Amino acid sequence: MLVADRHGHLVRLNDVARLILPDAVNGARLSEQVPAWLADAHQRVIATSPPGTAPKISHGAIGDRHFEAHSTLSEGDVAWWLVDATDRRLAERALSDARHRSEVLSEASSTLLSTLNVPRCMEVAASMAAEHLAEAAVLIAPPQGRRCSLTYACRGGHVVQTSRQVDVAGVPGLREALQGFPPVPARWINPADIPDWAIPDGFAGSVGSVIVAPLPGHGVPAGALILLRSSTEQAFTEGEEVFARLFAARAGAALSAARLYTEQATITATLMQDLLPPTLHTVHGVEYAGSYRTAKDHERVGGDFYDVHPGAGPSEETLVVLGDVAGKGLDAAVLTGKIRNTLHALLPLAEDHEHILNLLNSALLTSHHTRFVTLALASVRRRGGRAQLRLTSAGHMPPLIVRTDGTVEEVDTRGTLVGALPAVSARTVKTVLAPGETCLLYTDGITEARGGPLGDELFGEDRLQRALAECVGMPAEAVVERVQMLAAQWLGNGRHDDMAVMAITAPKAGALSIVNGYASGGPSGRGGAGSE
Amino acid sequence: MSEPTATAGAVQRLWQAVIGGDEHQAAATVRDALAQGVSEETLLLQVIAPVQEKVGVEWAAGRISVAQEHAATAINERVVAALAHRPGTSRPAPERGRVTVACVDGEWHALPARLVAEVLALHGWRVDYLGAQTPTPHLVAHLHLTNPDAVLLSGSMPTHLPTAHGAITACQAIGVPVLAGGRAFGPQGCYATALGADRWAADARAAAAVLAAGIPRPGASAIRHTVDDLPHLGDQEYTLVAQSRTRFVKQTLADLEDRFPAMRAYHRIQQERTAEDIAYIVEFLATALYVDDPDLFTAFLTWTDGILTARGVPARSLRAGLDALAGQLHDFPRALKMLEHGRTALTEHATRPVPGPDIHV
Amino acid sequence: MTHLPPSEFTLAVRHEPATLTVMIGGELDYGTSGDLLNEVSQQLTAGQPPPADVRLDFRELTYIDSSGLTALLMIHRRTSALGATLHLDNRPARLERMLHLTDVLDHLTAPPTRTGGWQPEEDDGLTEAGMT
Repeated sequence: MLVADRHGHLVRLNDVARLILPDAVNGARLSEQVPAWLADAHQRVIATSPPGTAPKISHGAIGDRHFEAHSTLSEGDVAWWLVDATDRRLAERALSDARHRSEVLSEASSTLLSTLNVPRCMEVAASMAAEHLAEAAVLIAPPQGRRCSLTYACRGGHVVQTSRQVDVAGVPGLREALQGFPPVPARWINPADIPDWAIPDGFAGSVGSVIVAPLPGHGVPAGALILLRSSTEQAFTEGEEVFARLFAARAGAALSAARLYTEQATITATLMQDLLPPTLHTVHGVEYAGSYRTAKDHERVGGDFYDVHPGAGPSEETLVVLGDVAGKGLDAAVLTGKIRNTLHALLPLAEDHEHILNLLNSALLTSHHTRFVTLALASVRRRGGRAQLRLTSAGHMPPLIVRTDGTVEEVDTRGTLVGALPAVSARTVKTVLAPGETCLLYTDGITEARGGPLGDELFGEDRLQRALAECVGMPAEAVVERVQMLAAQWLGNGRHDDMAVMAITAPKAGALSIVNGYASGGPSGRGGAGSE
Repeated sequence: MSEPTATAGAVQRLWQAVIGGDEHQAAATVRDALAQGVSEETLLLQVIAPVQEKVGVEWAAGRISVAQEHAATAINERVVAALAHRPGTSRPAPERGRVTVACVDGEWHALPARLVAEVLALHGWRVDYLGAQTPTPHLVAHLHLTNPDAVLLSGSMPTHLPTAHGAITACQAIGVPVLAGGRAFGPQGCYATALGADRWAADARAAAAVLAAGIPRPGASAIRHTVDDLPHLGDQEYTLVAQSRTRFVKQTLADLEDRFPAMRAYHRIQQERTAEDIAYIVEFLATALYVDDPDLFTAFLTWTDGILTARGVPARSLRAGLDALAGQLHDFPRALKMLEHGRTALTEHATRPVPGPDIHV
Repeated sequence: MTHLPPSEFTLAVRHEPATLTVMIGGELDYGTSGDLLNEVSQQLTAGQPPPADVRLDFRELTYIDSSGLTALLMIHRRTSALGATLHLDNRPARLERMLHLTDVLDHLTAPPTRTGGWQPEEDDGLTEAGMT
């Protein structure tokens, strides 16, 4: 407790106050004896009228402690009671820091977990680290060969990602952090030990303090984070180090999830490459187009398939195959791969459809299951403006032909399904397409599309034939798109089976193909419209 | 020859070619225009795009057949592909960043998206074009793998707006901003805003400008439920109408038959056409409920009225259909208001054709 | 117009001397054909001696797809292995058309002695559901 008078002079201190202000001199001006905040508070109290209406409590630092000063008036003098609030203040700050950190961690989690893209994840992690943990951050991914992917972030600046060859041993503890073994905690390192590559370009001033934190992944290390502060900033406290470790754990988990997803997606894409339907185009003067929609919209492959195997020259037959494996999804797709490969190998024997069907049948026959495939085969050759066709159905919906007069014919071919019986038989039918006529091969997913305006009807063969009757003279792609569109609209949002359609069209005069083989490529070389 | 003159001539020639199904002539038209110095972008946006637009208009007016419409579109697609892959030319190296162009699931009109993709490639973007009706799970998987700077989501049919909304929130939830485009998103892209798209662009050039200006990535706060954007969905009217669509169609058909006994003698195909028309009405009504905009429904009605008139179908069945539908919707105040709005507009419309959404069925 | 109300898949089994009858109702498809195969397989091996005739009754069948046909083919293998004759009774139009299109009716209903040419190998498939 200390007392000061209305003129701003120190009257006296008690013993405890003297411990805090050992050099204070009684009678001297208060402003010369105590910190400014206390002198100012005293000035405010004596200047207010009526006395005592000024705020009674002030606070500030004396030495390295923090005090609250409570005033009481007595006979014109002011008694100041000093209360040490250092610990409470520390506790309050810690609480507010903790709250802030848990907000940051929660934001980090939701932002990091929302993406499964590795570069994006690294970008987010580095930028959040620079924002909330340090002034700058460098995220180092585990080396791929000799190169490391590096993500640099400075507070308020852009994130820069590069891949380069760096000597990870140049940063103490980094090699261990990247190996994930032996387990290492986040550690301080001497700023002088930091090589230039580990400092982002935009980092102003000299490096004051550095922490290297490993990013723990799911069993494998996900990388490491270098956090930097300049010499003018405060060094990392113990609490901040703990915070950095928590942040690193979240970033590591998100990064390794993203990496796992990417690996799996890449493997799947590679394995599926051969199972995807091919992009079709004009071959030897005959148009081919196909479209495929899988039963489950999130899958790209299923039990339907088609292929066009071009003849060696214009006088050779081109073999067209469209098929439907019983079953759905990946299991069915794997079997389509086997069938497509087998048929490819049987191409030299394609002049006898029944023969290759029997060979395929033997290849597929197994005691383990009776899963079968139904197929439509077409051997096509152009003669003059017309296309000569040999058509065979093996347990499949017969092909339909749209004639120039708008009639739609069901081709009279029939045969056994393939892959479940000891032997198969099939009748092949010959026909000719005049210019503008189309032969349509399709799977029952089209005719069995259930929906329509009343919600519960099958699309059916009649509707398909009526729709085709309007397709005289249309290019093959347009026919295929029309059929798929009508079936899809019929379905609405309903569940459906795999749906495949293929058109073989004798082009109308004047409808020369513009660029053989490239007509469906998109700007980035991916499949064209409707191929997915 | 000046570019505008060359362009106008090319539009005429290309129109004749595609409508005659003459792909050779279409290719020659484009080749000649290039030879006259017309730029690729101009060809895409001022020759091919207007010709395709005219295809839709002429079909709606009943002046060309479905076959011609599809054939013309197919030829236009081939012309665009040929333009992109013509020998001896190379696109600028993609140096601006990467974008994904996709159509909303269910959307078959791919050409507008294709034109945008080509124009952006010309502007130096690396473009992944996913084509017509991209299922949202495919789109999201693609975004995870490629981490593009933005998704351009294209839609022509307003009835795909609810699906588009799901796609928009899904893209944003994984930190990819969405630029919406196409007629489905309404005048001045009003529905793009309502559905929370980050940006909207009226055409390919506008889209290029928006991308050039940059779109900030949506933050963690972008993760939301669709109902957060559209609080009126809380009344469940959209959900109930969409779910009961086929029931409404059946009941409306039955009511119409009571009202017009002659309908019972309709040919099966005629009956199915009527059922399809009613199904469309219910679908557009549901969509209007979704975005809470009676004008969306009215635009569809007046457009349908025009189509029916162009095909010599008496339009009173449209009005009768609305009356029958209103009879089943007493518990849906928002829907009733929209039906009333639509009926009034049909009466006023009577003679005046209004451009509307293009449905090529 | 073909109205197809969604219907519950049902199986009912009747044992008579030397004859096993299974009544199949509803939709025989990807989701239900495994049930049929399991049921028939169990019934075939349950009684001693095995039946001489197995009758599948399709009177109540509303739908069948290629998975359903796969199950019929597998059932035929098992009845043949036991020397039993398979009968497909009361076939609705849809099943009839499918059997015609795929050309398997004669094969499925032939007496077991005529199935030669291909015999089940190392296992008869009984251990596996076969509907994967």
